[in-house]
Formats: sequence, structure tokens, C-alpha cells
Amino acid sequence: MAVKAMTQEWMDAYKAAIQADPEYKTIAKDWEGSVSLVVNPDPSKNVPEVIYLFMDYWHGDVGEFVVCDKAKADSAKFVMTGDYARWKQVAFKELDATKALLQGKLKMKGDLPYVVRNIKTVNKVIDLLGKVDTLWPDDAN
Amino acid sequence: MAGGYTGKFLLVNLSSGECRDFSIDSQELGKYIGGSCLAAKLFLDRYDLTVDPLSPGNPLMIMTGPLVGTGFPGTSRFTICSKSPQTGIWAESACGGTFGPDLKRAGYDGVVIEGRADSPVCLSITDGKAELTDASHLWGKDIYEATDLIKEQEKSVKALVIGQAGEHLVRIAAIGNDKGHFSGRAGLGAVMGSKNLKAVTVKGTGKVGKADEEKFKAAQKQAMQEIKDSALTEGLHLMGSDANMDLGMVTGDVPVKNWTSGGEYELASSLSGPTMREKYLTKAHACVNCPVACKRVVKVDDGKYTSEEGPGPEYETCAVFGTMMMNPDLTAVIKANELCNRYGMDTISCGSAIAMAMELYEKGTISRDDLKGIELTWGNMDAVLALVKAIAYREGFGDILAEGAVRAARKIGGDAIDAVVHVKGLEAPMHDPRGFHGMGLAYMMSNRGACHLQHFAMATEQGMASWPQLFDMKDDYQGITSEGKAALVYNSENYGILANSLSICHYVAYIVRPETLLEVFNAVTGFGFTFADLMKSGMRDWTLKRGFNNLLGITKKDDVLPKRIMTALEEGGAAGSVPDMELLLREYYAFRGLDERGFPKEEKLVELGLDELKARLYQ
Repeated sequence: MAVKAMTQEWMDAYKAAIQADPEYKTIAKDWEGSVSLVVNPDPSKNVPEVIYLFMDYWHGDVGEFVVCDKAKADSAKFVMTGDYARWKQVAFKELDATKALLQGKLKMKGDLPYVVRNIKTVNKVIDLLGKVDTLWPDDAN
Repeated sequence: MAGGYTGKFLLVNLSSGECRDFSIDSQELGKYIGGSCLAAKLFLDRYDLTVDPLSPGNPLMIMTGPLVGTGFPGTSRFTICSKSPQTGIWAESACGGTFGPDLKRAGYDGVVIEGRADSPVCLSITDGKAELTDASHLWGKDIYEATDLIKEQEKSVKALVIGQAGEHLVRIAAIGNDKGHFSGRAGLGAVMGSKNLKAVTVKGTGKVGKADEEKFKAAQKQAMQEIKDSALTEGLHLMGSDANMDLGMVTGDVPVKNWTSGGEYELASSLSGPTMREKYLTKAHACVNCPVACKRVVKVDDGKYTSEEGPGPEYETCAVFGTMMMNPDLTAVIKANELCNRYGMDTISCGSAIAMAMELYEKGTISRDDLKGIELTWGNMDAVLALVKAIAYREGFGDILAEGAVRAARKIGGDAIDAVVHVKGLEAPMHDPRGFHGMGLAYMMSNRGACHLQHFAMATEQGMASWPQLFDMKDDYQGITSEGKAALVYNSENYGILANSLSICHYVAYIVRPETLLEVFNAVTGFGFTFADLMKSGMRDWTLKRGFNNLLGITKKDDVLPKRIMTALEEGGAAGSVPDMELLLREYYAFRGLDERGFPKEEKLVELGLDELKARLYQ
């Protein structure tokens, strides 16, 4: 059953999808550190306020996955910010996250060479994001 | 005279020793912009296209564009043009560094060099005056040594220098600018060597005029902000062009084992920009007036392949002396890069020729005896470094590889040519068209042969840039499809080819918005161009050079990807994928207005104002 995007229930489902993936542990074995996603508001798409999501990844395992406040989001090793529509494009794989960064459609704070070195991990978690059965705000009635 | 131009060119005849100025009027400059486009026009108007590239009759042209010397970011560039001794067709090779702006400040938009000196000479240009001086003491020196000797005499000059490869007429010889910047491709160092021209130095103290100084300042400020805000800037500054290594291995961009494999993630990681940064980078270096600073300065203190602090390898070099040879040792790549820099050889061509030889050695086509005892197994970098020197000096088997991979394969015979990835005689750069089909089309249609720098197709297809304001462009293209790629390449070519006529760095042009680039072009020149005018200039540029090549016998049969690229890989990001050549060419030919022979149609030539070319193609 579809869960509402960017809610705690959705974060739990995403975490479960990552934990259940047999390849993830191997691909992400070198990754250390938390990632925040900041979703800019877009009232026209039923996203009235900014949403902060915090995810902790550590050597192929996952820790805290929560909807959070700005302070918590800012504490992550990597903070990625973008408009709601862009994040949805990334989830649907209509826009590659790396390309979105290079084109300025997403912004990132953090160690870029680390991300480049671990690009397979980044691609993997984005793949898994697309596997969560999601009800998006602008698709909901 | 339009802003951004001096209106003056220097003509040097090395046979007679005469140096004199000539001019080109503003109308012609507005039509052909500058750089390589204007050089192609000059060649067509003034020289015999059938000339032997290594004979005195082949002109060597060092050209700038209107933005050079203005201080706008990324405009330190200049382009060296001639007929290629490697491919026998049009050759151009752009270079960053310091030489271009000083040439403009010395009072020249470009220099055209004809003839052949009786003995080694140096051409020295200082504020509108040119003289030829004896360079016998520099002959035989490598580029680093010769540059140091030149600068001992006059520290502030900027120097273009050839090494031993250019002196020995190696067909893949490069020209170095102040040690860290190179016009590498298509063998222009050999053209310089054939003229007994060891070096060109320049010193200029003048100022480049602009049509509208206030608008220029506003555009410059805007560009600086765009560069500051860009993630591409951050990536290039931190990791250099080798940032592509890890990403490219995932997407199928990076060639492995002479284009026969893929998916070598650990190998890529050992050679990548982050690894270079962590282990060997001492500082980032910038061309003059560039805030990106993508150049690497590296030093290797320990191990078998130590290197003094000096210019580090680009991505292309890390791939060709790394993944292509199954070599995981980045210190060996740094050493190979240093040797190619010193001897003055294009790293892509040199590495590709050696990777081909490695494959032929494994197959038994060439033997240890052929190689004078060198055991050219995959990853044997001692053997590779020995061969690099042998190529530069044309010693032993190096004499064969010094011809470039295509000519070498033809000399070796049998099916050796199947081990070479090239278009029109130029070895492909390190971007696999099986991972990005648009790049395959761009290779097929680039006027100097397989090339990633005659267009912006790499930026658009790989998603480094998106310019829907220029044409109907998507944010994200899948690499392994040929659908829609002809339009992408055609448009990216019309815009991107201008980099070498405006003389602006590709990376900066990827980052700065087209609106800003148009604004600065108009502020400098006063031409009042629209986007449509700019794109039309790009069409004219491409078509002029295509006509040049058509007159030398290039037809549709030459617009082809090699057998190896049309064979799918079993592993990696490009596994199972090959470009649809027929679809790509059919659609592209329609966009470009080419006929069945691969010639520009008469109406296209008229539309672009190339009536003289039309007369020659259709006489």
C-alpha cells in the first residue's frame, strides 16, 4: 500500500527497503555519514512548508531515518537541497541526481570528492527510493 | 575596428625571414569571429590545401578570439591550426595558459607562419615587433628545459615550445605553453618542428579594447557569480577533470583495456580525481583570469615512479595510461604524463598507440623481438615509459608508433587496424560512444577526427549543462540510446564549436549561462548578435571546415565509427549497447544539410554566406 511521501511512515518504508536490499551492504561498505534532504516548499503541489529529512548511513548499515527540524538536518555530513518537483524527478529517475547537482537544480553541502568516490552508493540509495510505493503530495486528492 | 580585436595579424615567412603585418576588416571578423574558424577561412583563401603537412607550404596559425585578453573568465585560450600531419585533414588544437592574452596585448589577433628556417629559430614577438633569433642552443632540449632557458633570458615572456617529438617529426607531437598547457591533438608539434621553429615567445603590454566597458563589467560580474555557484566549478577545482573517472566508470564512459572491457570500478578508483587529490596533489592551478582552477599540480615522493612537483595529468591521460592499459598505479600515469609533456607528445594519441601495441603483443601480432626486448604486457608501466621515449626519438618500434595508431596499425598490417578506435585518423579521446551514443555521432562528424572538444555534446549528453533556452533540450538524456541524439549533437555542435573561435574554455562555457556569454560577446565586440546569430556562426564554422575536408577527399564513407565501437561490451555501464549509426547519421545529415556524398548542399552554403566555398565544391 502506498505511503505518503516525506512522512515518518515513508522514511520507515525507505529504511526498510534499503535494509532488505541484498546488494546494498556490499556497495555501501565504505560509506560513513548522515545525509539530509531539504525539500523546498511548493504550495501549488501541496507542499506548503519546507520539509527536512535526516538519514544516517554507516558502512552498509542504516541508522536513524527521521523527518526532522532544520537544526537536525544541518547537522548531517551531507545536506542536499532542492525544489519538491526536482526531488520527485530524481525519485522517478527522470533526473539523475549527479546531473541535477551539476546543473544547479539540487545543491549540496559536504565533501564532494567523497560523494564522487562513492557514487555507486549514491546511485543505489536513489534506485531504492524509487522502489518505495509512494503517494506524492501533488498526486493526492 | 570592432572591440575585442586588434585587427592586425602577423605573417612570418621562415624561409625568407620576413615578418610583416596584415589586417582583416571588421565585416570578415564578424562573419568568422576568430580562432579556428577564421584560420580555416585564411587557409582556404591563401594556401594550397593539397600541401604536404610537413612541407614549408603548410601554414601554422596561432589564433586568438575576441574575448581573449579582456579578463573575462576562461578566455586565456588560443587555438593552433594547420593541416594535420597525422590525419591529412583540418587540424586545430586549443590551449589554455598565458600565451593568448599576451599575444593580444602584443597587438596581434593571430600569427601565421609559413616556410621553413634553415636552422632552428625562435620567433619573438614584443609589443608589435617580431624577430627571428637563433635557437640552436634549445634544439634537442625537452619542453621544460627549453622553457626554463627561454625564461632565464626574459622571465616575463610567454613561450610556446616543442620538444624532441616535434623535432623528430613525430606525427602525434604537441606544442607546450609554459610547461603546463598543451596544444596536443593532431600533430601540430611536428608542423612546428618541420619548420625548424623551436619556440614562439610573446610579451605584450597593451590593452584589449571593448565596445561597451560597463556592459562588459556587468557580464563579467554575472559570470563570476555563476561560476561561484556551480557544483561543476567545485568538482573541477577539487578534483580536476579526473573527477570523471569514478562517475564515468559507472556510466560506461571510461574505456578499459583498449576499449574491450568495462566495469572496472576498483581500477577507476585507484586512478581517480579524489585519489590524486588525497595522495599527490600539491595545489590547484588556474589559467590566467580563471576562478575555476581545474589544473593539477602534483608531486610523487616515494615509490618506483617519483616525480618532481609539476603539471599533473588530466582525466584523458589517467584513462589512456591507466584503465586503457590495465594499470592501477597513478604514480606511473603521473610519470607518463611528465614524459609526454617534456618530449611534447599528445597523451591521448601516445597512450592509444601503446595500448593498441599491448593488445597486438598479447595476440602475438608483434613480438618481443619487434619491440627490441620490451615485454609489453598489460599494466607493465616500465615498458610503457620506455616506449614513450622511443616514440619521441623515433627509436626502434617507437618509430612505427610515432606515426600515430592508425598509420602504425597499417604498417603492422593484418587486422591490427581493428585494435584502433579512431575517426578520420585521429584516435578517440577517452569517452566511450557505447555509453553515450551522441558522443559517437560527435566523433563521426568532428572536423578534426574523433574529438570531444569541437562541440558541447559531452556537456549536454552527460548532463553537465542544460540549455533549453538555446534549443529544445531535455534536462536528462539517457546515454545508451541513439534516439534524439542527432538533434542534441547538431545543436551542441553549433554552440560548442564557437569555443574555439571565441577562444573560451569549454568548462567555463559549460558553467556560464548562454545569456551571459552572449552579453559579454556583444559588450566586447559591439556586434549586437542574437542567439540565432551565434548559432548561425557555429553552423558556418562547422560547414566551412567540413568543406575544407571535402576538398581533401572526405566524404560520407569517412563518417563512421570503428568496428570496435560497434561491438558491444559484456560488462560495465555500457554493456550490450552500441550506437545506431544509421539513425544518427540519417537524422544528422538532414539537420546539417549534407547531401548523399557528405557535402554541404548548395543552398546550405548560400544560406551561410559561403559562396566561395560553394564555387570550389561545385565547380
